[in-house]
Amino acid sequence: MSESIPRLESGGSSDRRRFEGLRGVQWRLDLGVIPAAPSSSIDDLRRVTADSRRRYASLRRRLLVDPHISKDGSNSPNLAMDNPLSQNPDSSWGRFFRNAELEKMVDQDLLRLYPEDGSYFQTPGCQGMLRRILLLWCLRHPEYGYRQGMHELLAPLVYVLHVDIERLSQVRELYEEHFTDKFDELSFHDNDLTYNFDFKKFSDTLENGSSQENASKVRSINELDPEIQKIILLSDAYGAEGELGIVLSEKFMEHDAYCMFDALMSGVNGSVAMADFFAHSPACGSKAALPPIIEASAALYHLLSTVDSSLHSHLVELGVEPQYFALRWLRVLFGREFSLQDLLAIWDEIFAQDNRKMDIVAEDDEGSSFRILSSSRGVFIAGIAVSMILHLRSSLLAAENATSCLQKLLNFPQNVDLMKLIEKARSLQALALEVNTSTSSSSSGAFVQSKRMVGRGHSLSSDSISPRTPLNLVPDSYWEERWRNLHKEEELKGGSLQKQVSTKKKGWSEKVKLSLSRTESDPSPAKAENIKKVTRTSVRRSLLEDLSRQLGSDEGAEKRSSHQIGGQKDHLSVKDDLARSEIHNEFSCADEERRLSANCGSEENSSIFSDPVSPLSGPIDHENDSEKSSVVSNLSLDEHDDQLQSTGCTVEDSPLPVSDVPDNTSLKSEPNNDPAGKAAIGVKERRPLSGKFQWLWKFGRNASAEETSNKEESPEASKSSDVETIYHDAADHSVIDHSISSGGIKGDSIDGNMIGSLRNLGQSMIEHIQVIESVFQQDRGQVGSLENFSKNLLVGKGQVTAMSALKELRKISNLLSEM
Amino acid sequence: MLVPGKIQHIICTGNLCIKEVHDYLKTLCPDLHITRGEYDEETRYPETKTLTIGQFKLGLCHGHQVIPWGDLDSLAMLQRQLDVDILVTGHTHQFTAYKHEGGVVINPGSATGAYSSITYDVNPSFVLMDIDGLRVVVYVYELIDGEVKVDKIDFKKTTTTTAH
Repeated sequence: MSESIPRLESGGSSDRRRFEGLRGVQWRLDLGVIPAAPSSSIDDLRRVTADSRRRYASLRRRLLVDPHISKDGSNSPNLAMDNPLSQNPDSSWGRFFRNAELEKMVDQDLLRLYPEDGSYFQTPGCQGMLRRILLLWCLRHPEYGYRQGMHELLAPLVYVLHVDIERLSQVRELYEEHFTDKFDELSFHDNDLTYNFDFKKFSDTLENGSSQENASKVRSINELDPEIQKIILLSDAYGAEGELGIVLSEKFMEHDAYCMFDALMSGVNGSVAMADFFAHSPACGSKAALPPIIEASAALYHLLSTVDSSLHSHLVELGVEPQYFALRWLRVLFGREFSLQDLLAIWDEIFAQDNRKMDIVAEDDEGSSFRILSSSRGVFIAGIAVSMILHLRSSLLAAENATSCLQKLLNFPQNVDLMKLIEKARSLQALALEVNTSTSSSSSGAFVQSKRMVGRGHSLSSDSISPRTPLNLVPDSYWEERWRNLHKEEELKGGSLQKQVSTKKKGWSEKVKLSLSRTESDPSPAKAENIKKVTRTSVRRSLLEDLSRQLGSDEGAEKRSSHQIGGQKDHLSVKDDLARSEIHNEFSCADEERRLSANCGSEENSSIFSDPVSPLSGPIDHENDSEKSSVVSNLSLDEHDDQLQSTGCTVEDSPLPVSDVPDNTSLKSEPNNDPAGKAAIGVKERRPLSGKFQWLWKFGRNASAEETSNKEESPEASKSSDVETIYHDAADHSVIDHSISSGGIKGDSIDGNMIGSLRNLGQSMIEHIQVIESVFQQDRGQVGSLENFSKNLLVGKGQVTAMSALKELRKISNLLSEM
Repeated sequence: MLVPGKIQHIICTGNLCIKEVHDYLKTLCPDLHITRGEYDEETRYPETKTLTIGQFKLGLCHGHQVIPWGDLDSLAMLQRQLDVDILVTGHTHQFTAYKHEGGVVINPGSATGAYSSITYDVNPSFVLMDIDGLRVVVYVYELIDGEVKVDKIDFKKTTTTTAH
């Protein structure tokens, strides 16, 4: 029990080490269970202790369920629900069985905890206590469940409390007079009902007692050694909160251990929470989609690479992934690598470090890429790990394959000079802090880079609420389901346009869109298929809309990143198309929801547009309702509008930004993030229509050699710095060119109806262009209110380009009306 | 409702008739105790069986051997003969539970609601015993009119075990 390892002076935190001799109390202080401020008095400590113990007691009462205890009829709940075989999850029997399972798992580990003879941990009392604590913690934190290793974190905590109690009993023996109630220099014994003390004897002793004896007996508490003083005060049964507040109390050891364990696991709002290391899934706050333990292991390696790059590269070459050994090291905080006494010394140091998140002076969200390194405690832990690795340096460098390396790392030698280890860790700590601040600029580690990209995307798309889908193809049934959901909604709720997020990942969205668009590029010309077509197109639209929605953020990020990389033009242009089509779909879907009757219109619209847009698609059945055609044309115009104004429409909650489309243009040097701002006003009504148009547009685009046309357009568009409008123009041009060309080709295939509807379309286009122009006027005044994305927009220029785009639209509509 | 893992022992009075039912019960719990009923095809089941679970001694018998069928006094004779605290018998296809002479005689009824020549309107039923130290809680599950009804009976073992 003797602490053979002298404590090192820890920097300037000596004021935090109030209880040098009492590890239990000191650790509670460090972990945050009791207040650490030097000004807090013993009474404060007692109060906090008492509160935490009360909490634990109530938790225990609540969660440890014994369904047998319901002898009286009033207590027993409804038998139909609460019988042992009940499947009802609420039944107390259900809870009982679940607890029993958890207990079984915990017991498996507890039996193997420090199994050497005479071990304190194998005593049934201790085992029962450990079991209860672990069980309650896991019940309280069901998201973590019980993982092997938690018991090893808990064991030293209980041990130090036990050690403290032993110390207390030692002191008690020595300084008995301060612990027993003594009045008139005589202690009250329980069996003394009357005191018949001999006055004479008493006075004799007073007089005759040797001065030394008297002096020692009458010594007041203030004259004692401060350490002893503390111990006495902490165990005083009459202080604040009475017996519950006795800080060093055997009775409440379980409560205290639970509080310490909880504080250790949760990190108490600090940076290092041990529970994270047990989690499988990435923490929600983490930038990279990696489990925290993997991230922390990578941090170790990162630190090692800055300290000793040759060893680091050697390990990497051999393929020794850090988490192979770091998992065990970190999860039990080196509990398996050191003997218990050594471990206590190391934990002293670790807990002495502050766990608060440090303000890393680095670039905003890219800095502190390693969560573990963002608090001094975490850095120290990493430092210890790295110093351990360095300790084995020579043997690791000599090892020739990964297995032998791991063997050495996992069988850390027992007789290690702890002082040196801790010293080294301290020096590494300072180094690590520097390293962490410059992490953002380093691009080491693939995940760091990807994290950055993702982070960038996130920061840009922070306004979007598009759900993040994994980069893989979604099965068809999922889309059908989405369609059904969409179909139920009668009204679009997207009153507020979402600011578009310029950065989205293209990836699979592109592929899916391509495939979807390709499948759609041949609408059946039969008129009789109106309804079917509507359904199909609406399905397609909704599908595409979903795609666009979900890909929104992905698209933006990816596009942006590709943009950053100076990606391939073709790629981008294709993506542009896809993005646009996405947007179209979005709009079309939105549109459908709004006007159910518009289905036909949209179909018609699509059919109409598919004629000019995609020459390959035959004349689609269309109802030559002027209304519908106007709706259609509205759609198309809306689309144009939208694209011109680069408004992002949110159909339901997807922020698919139209600006995404422009962003993709490789020529554009500025990712255009906020087209949404422009069309904020008038887009709503145009949205549904434009959606359909876009959808059709997409078809047309995909069907034609868009890439080439885009390329052609790109030079033209480069005149404007406004990405989206340029892109928009380009798109327009290409589309229109196609339409015109295809119109010319297929002129003979278009029947009279088609021509009529085209004329109508042209008319509505003109109308809409006028509307757009008016909106532009309004928008000019609204530039300032756009979101941060719009800062990149040169709105003035955008307006100009938009106007030019509108003129182009006019041309198109004229053409159409001529046909 | 009968999921594997919750039940530690199955005590069956007999008349499973075919092996498939035996196998099904085995999936619920590996510890299966059966006595021979008059229609059992498996000839190797014993006529009676005794086992000890916790503090209780249980006796098992199909019951067609005890005449008159279902008569408490005759069953009590069997209980004394086997020297058990809890006697489980069947054959009548009707649930009954008696506290008798410091012990318990339980008839869990028919688990399938099979036809019986001595009982009208057979309801499927079975019994779940929760043995906890010196206390037994008996949960009776009956299927009445398509619904599972649960009932609970408490038995406490008295420490006096001397039989007269």
